[in-house]
Amino acid sequence: MQLQIEKESFVTNQYHTIIIGAGHNGLVAAAYLAKQGKKVLVLERRSIVGGSMVTESFGENFQADSIHAGGTLRPDIIKDLKLVSHGLHVDSSRQPFISLLPDSNSLILDPNPVKAAESIKKFSERDASRWDEFVRFMDKAAEILDVAYATIMPRLPKNMNLREGYGLLELGLELRLAGRKDMLNFIRALPMSAQELVEEYFESEIIRAAIASVAIHNSTLGPMSAGTGYTLIHNWLNRGGLSHSNVGKAGEITSALANAVKSFGGEIRTDVEVAKIKIENQIAKGVVLANGEEISANRIISSADPKHTLLKLVGAQDLPPEFVWHTQSIKMRGSVAKVHLQVNGNHGIPAGTLCIAPSIKYLEKAYDAAKYGEISEKPYLEVTTSGNVVSIHFQFAPYHLKTGDWRLETKKVEKIAIETLTEYFPNLQSLVSNLKVITPLDLETTYGLTEGDINHGQLQLDQFLFMRPIPGWSNHKTPIDNLYLCGSGVHGGGGVSGASGRNVVKVLK
Amino acid sequence: MFNLKTTPFHERTSALCQPQNWRKWAGYFSAGSYEHVLDREYWAIRNSAALIDVSPLIKYVIKGKDAAALLHRVTTRDIHKMKVGQVAYTGWCDEEGKMIDDGTVSRLDEMMFRLTAAEPNLRWLSMNAVGMDVSITEVTDEVAALSFQGPNTRKVLNKVVEMSVDELKYFRLMKNRINGIEVTISRTGYTGDLGYEIWMTAKDAIKIWDTLMVAGADYGITPVGILAMDMARVEAGLFMLDVDYTSTTHAWIEPQKSSPFELGLDWTVALDKKGYFVGRRALEKEKREGSLWKMVGLEVDWVGMENIFKRVGLPPQIPGMAVRGSLPILVGNVQVGYASTSTWSPLLKKYIALAHLQKPYFEVGTDVRMEITVEHHRQHAPAKVVKLPFYEPEWKRK
Repeated sequence: MQLQIEKESFVTNQYHTIIIGAGHNGLVAAAYLAKQGKKVLVLERRSIVGGSMVTESFGENFQADSIHAGGTLRPDIIKDLKLVSHGLHVDSSRQPFISLLPDSNSLILDPNPVKAAESIKKFSERDASRWDEFVRFMDKAAEILDVAYATIMPRLPKNMNLREGYGLLELGLELRLAGRKDMLNFIRALPMSAQELVEEYFESEIIRAAIASVAIHNSTLGPMSAGTGYTLIHNWLNRGGLSHSNVGKAGEITSALANAVKSFGGEIRTDVEVAKIKIENQIAKGVVLANGEEISANRIISSADPKHTLLKLVGAQDLPPEFVWHTQSIKMRGSVAKVHLQVNGNHGIPAGTLCIAPSIKYLEKAYDAAKYGEISEKPYLEVTTSGNVVSIHFQFAPYHLKTGDWRLETKKVEKIAIETLTEYFPNLQSLVSNLKVITPLDLETTYGLTEGDINHGQLQLDQFLFMRPIPGWSNHKTPIDNLYLCGSGVHGGGGVSGASGRNVVKVLK
Repeated sequence: MFNLKTTPFHERTSALCQPQNWRKWAGYFSAGSYEHVLDREYWAIRNSAALIDVSPLIKYVIKGKDAAALLHRVTTRDIHKMKVGQVAYTGWCDEEGKMIDDGTVSRLDEMMFRLTAAEPNLRWLSMNAVGMDVSITEVTDEVAALSFQGPNTRKVLNKVVEMSVDELKYFRLMKNRINGIEVTISRTGYTGDLGYEIWMTAKDAIKIWDTLMVAGADYGITPVGILAMDMARVEAGLFMLDVDYTSTTHAWIEPQKSSPFELGLDWTVALDKKGYFVGRRALEKEKREGSLWKMVGLEVDWVGMENIFKRVGLPPQIPGMAVRGSLPILVGNVQVGYASTSTWSPLLKKYIALAHLQKPYFEVGTDVRMEITVEHHRQHAPAKVVKLPFYEPEWKRK
């Protein structure tokens, strides 16, 4: 008997680690591990890598960043993984953030604060003079959040041990170093609504709303919702300000990551869907693919969202009941749709990140629709362009519709998006030669995002820090030994940064 | 306003309950005793046939393809090994391996079970049934139950049942008919004696009661309340939720919780069973490392107690029923545990208690002292740790 056990434990797996999902977080984790010399296999359901960080072709001469408009990984990741040598072009030039207004008198928030202040001046002299202070606070707040996102959260205090507590101590120290006043302002800002936060700085509704729109981007929340102070800081951190960077190059980032994985000796297989994680006595042993093939590994890291990973790939039967209850309770509720337009001719849309967010109330009403399971008739849009392609980010288009079915509502989103934008660019509608709509249902079925939630779980204060993905399990671990989470649904995640993919490597045995 | 419910036997039990000492049991009126002193009822359990209304037991019917899987996951027993017609006593735990409740699982059919519980467990069962093809229905009101306990019960039952219960083994059940009425009879009970539990539809309750009372007249059949049963269950070494242990669902602090090992339920924890079950990890760890507490039997030394009473000029005084109160237990002058239920055993002629002792004092044979109150003064009577149960007649399993 004894002999048999020993023999079993010496069976060597072909792979040290299997990573489920080749999104940016999965690839970051894979690259770090491969760089350490671990035998890594990344399994991707789609035929292309990238997950939500992907540039796809939707027709001839029609390429767009499907979900995230560009983005950038944390600088330490780019450096650690030598991504520049693997094909990443670091473009530090920034485009302006523009709030489109009906009278074609747009607010242009240029990355250059002097230029931004000039534009603000048209709306309020006072606000122009406060721009610098606001940017300074946001940069500082984002810096503090960045430190928090680099710190592995301890489990609930009940379970906290010295080693876990150490991370918090470091975080505490960092916060102290941030300065007492900034730290207090940061903590105070988190539970505030975006509206309350921007009102403290600005008097012009136009400026307030433009900034508040970034707070609700990818969230099923309105600018009057508590906790959108936090999401504003979160998005500011990931974007490095208000506007997107590297628009049209989302796929380039994940391609560079995939190159890095391979060059470090890792393996990536596409077109393979993981159907089940193989578990014996609460220990992950490998994966079972949809085609029945089994691959064993010493450990499994899933970059899929926690709900999918735990309830579908593991299954409730192998998990403790309270854990299952918490996992079921993770708020997903995506409400983002994407409308990509191929345009033939000069659309006249300026470069940069454009938003249709004329007032706080406009944004809040757009969100109201989502509360009642309806598509916003007057949506909050964010628009980016890349060559002949116009990409429209549409909120709110709730995954859970009160009536109707997403298979039939696609046209409605398409129509509202194009008509709304055409009000500002009258030629646009007639120039559209091809288009691609991605509904919340597509986000789920094509991109594997449960309930179409791009963040793998809403970024809300009860799903934040040591409560992300669920209370007591914020350290990437699960009740299944050797199964770890590294997607956007874990602390550090949500949006594009690679933090959760980087962090998981720190907690591995 | 919250009103207690009455059981399907209330028409009979209320007419018989002379002391009107109704107790509250799971939201129902339950007769404490039918007479003013417990002696006759207690001796009916041990010498003849006691008829006890146990309808307040909370009952669930668990049905479906995954019914066995659900109970396998929730309880500590290996449910997949159970045969149809088998009954298993079990506790169930939270993820930390601490007891939530205890009861019996009856396999009524390949895909149908009945679970009894002391307290409502629907939420817990539902939480555990995520992703399973199973239905959980509470049938507490719909199913009436009589516990029929004592050495004469087999003879009485055989007079009224369609199929003899002679072959019905300990912790098995059978479908049967009494007076043409469909019932399920299980060879189970809460007294440690020969006994059966009869499960029936609520509307048939009175007819079954009457039939048994007539058939049992010559065999000393006696309606028995829960106070006499309380004495018998201590003799049998059986504990009670909220008296001898606290459910994790209402413990205020960690030390109030108990694991099945700490309650002496080692034999019900199937660590060799397949797959996950709630609390598995914690129970494996406790098994490896050993338990810090253990529930044991305690026999108070009669002579020692006599001496303590003699000092104030009294003969030993013992309560006439089981005492559900915590009594400190000492070794030297250090408290090493407590008794949770103590009773005079009329059969054994001993003062006995269910006691929770810390390691290493729970070893059989350990000399301890239990607190008693003599003329308003706290005294400590010498006592010894003994094996449970205190009483186990050969006919219990035969």
